Amino acid sequence: MTDHTATITGTGRLDLAGLGARFAAWVVLVGGILAIAGTGPNITGYAITAAIYVLVGLSLNIILGYVGQLSLGHQALVGTGALFAAYLSKAEGLPFVVDVVIGGLAGAALALVIGFVALRIRGLYLALVTLVIGITLQGSLFEVPALTGGGAGESADRPSVLLSNGRFYLVCVAVCVAVFYLDSRLERSKAGRALLAIKEDERVAFSFGIDVMGYKLLAFVLSGLIAGVAGGLFAFSSQQFNGNDFSFQLALTFVLMTVVGGAGSRVGVAVGAIIFALLHTVVSHAGPFVSFANLFPASTAANILQFGPDLIGAFLLLLTLAFNPGGLAQQLKPVSRWMAGGPFRIHELPVSAGARR
Amino acid sequence: MWMLETSGVSIRFGGLQALQSVSFRVGEWEIVGLIGPNGAGKTTAFNCVSGFYRPNSGSIRLRGEEVTELPPHQRVRRGMGRTFQNVGMVKTSTALENLLTAQHLQAGYPVVSGILGTGQATEAEHDLVDQAETILDILDLSTIRDTVVGSLPYGQLKMLELGCALATDPDILLLDEPSSGLGPTEALDLGDRLLALRKELGLTLLVIEHHVPLVTKVCDYVYVLNFGEILAEGEPAYIQSHPQVVAAYLGTSP
Repeated sequence: MTDHTATITGTGRLDLAGLGARFAAWVVLVGGILAIAGTGPNITGYAITAAIYVLVGLSLNIILGYVGQLSLGHQALVGTGALFAAYLSKAEGLPFVVDVVIGGLAGAALALVIGFVALRIRGLYLALVTLVIGITLQGSLFEVPALTGGGAGESADRPSVLLSNGRFYLVCVAVCVAVFYLDSRLERSKAGRALLAIKEDERVAFSFGIDVMGYKLLAFVLSGLIAGVAGGLFAFSSQQFNGNDFSFQLALTFVLMTVVGGAGSRVGVAVGAIIFALLHTVVSHAGPFVSFANLFPASTAANILQFGPDLIGAFLLLLTLAFNPGGLAQQLKPVSRWMAGGPFRIHELPVSAGARR
Repeated sequence: MWMLETSGVSIRFGGLQALQSVSFRVGEWEIVGLIGPNGAGKTTAFNCVSGFYRPNSGSIRLRGEEVTELPPHQRVRRGMGRTFQNVGMVKTSTALENLLTAQHLQAGYPVVSGILGTGQATEAEHDLVDQAETILDILDLSTIRDTVVGSLPYGQLKMLELGCALATDPDILLLDEPSSGLGPTEALDLGDRLLALRKELGLTLLVIEHHVPLVTKVCDYVYVLNFGEILAEGEPAYIQSHPQVVAAYLGTSP
């Protein structure tokens, strides 16, 4: 939603203290994000994963938040991007940027195919189709030895400048910031309004002269592009492509983090993505969690380690659906609005109920 | 040349023949009424004309151009605007945002320019806001500029929807029961407004309406639909005294 309140507060006076406090908050936020680059390879490694999850969240947000459709095959888009990037890097020796861009285009092409399906079916059935597409690709394309370098996976060597995790992390953050900005522009342009109208009521969108089919396809293509780029970065972050990385479990995580974060809100989705990335990296390797798992027999322990983070995620989803349908975005709204220059309000202004029909 | 012409439009839903060879014509600058009892097929006819339904047979021509096979948004592009019986707007957006959305075709910049925020797009967006404010002004809705549409009272909702339809820059406007939910005086005010719109914007109107005083006030010509067929047509005074029309509305004594 566009926020029409500018940097002027409710009183209409220029609020210097408020500006100073906002500036300080931004310095802390930006400084914090940049400071992570200076930490050790482990933490920056986690941070890279988090940044890639954020990208995937922003990608899924376009379909889930803007178009209002559920994709359970998003891991395939990410995987396709990763596959192309790794293959082009290793087999064709193309430079890093080209690999990632073509990875993005590959993701967009696959998303276009899914988009054509989405023109015909919606909701639960579309979710099922995307699920099948995802699983099928994982079992077929991602297993082709000529493309993936066989069981060990195709290696994707980073360019020497980006060998350190810290620098690679900064590249990922830069991509995140760019996508974040472009997505905010998209939302405020005629395309964003068209997508919102389509989500609310296709008949209304049509009556406003909006090409409903065209914009749906556009949404899928943009989502696929971002997911593909995220995949390309993923391949270079782990420095290899391995089809097993893109299981259905990952697709579930992507959906969970987007819903828990708050579909439709960039800030919410980004925070949700970071939380789930940490669940899958830091928490699943954390001492207490591992010792808890080891209380059980070995096979059970392995399962707990593998599925534990998603179990926590599922619990978070329940909490979200029951108490917080707007997701984390709802909780973060006072802060994000304030940092964007709006007033600090915990509660929304009352909108008189009784919207008829 | 007729602004809008349908000939022999028929559509069937399962066992129900919703429209049976319906033909009507709307001349430029005319206000034509489409009346008939509940379930006569008025809204179905609208949906065929505006492209939401594809008729089984028959054709629809806009300014002589065949549009029967075109999707709805293409008809909007060719100058056909419409409203809905149960109000068609984006309920979670404000009045202004709805008017901006409705001006989709007037926002002449490419999608990519919007995403990149080029000067062309920014300029176009400013024009859209100006245009939206003009429409709010014309319809006396300036006070609700930033109000979320879902919270508006019904009268303003209907008026704003009319504004959104105008924002698509139509030559012919299809209004589905514009006076529903309005009181008798409000309905007659609406009549003045429609007449003014025709005069000032050169609009052609096709109106589904139940409110008889409004129909007699604004319509140049009326088609009566009953059980999916045109029962009668003529000027409002003629229609009002037409025995079959009276019978269709009130029922006949056995």
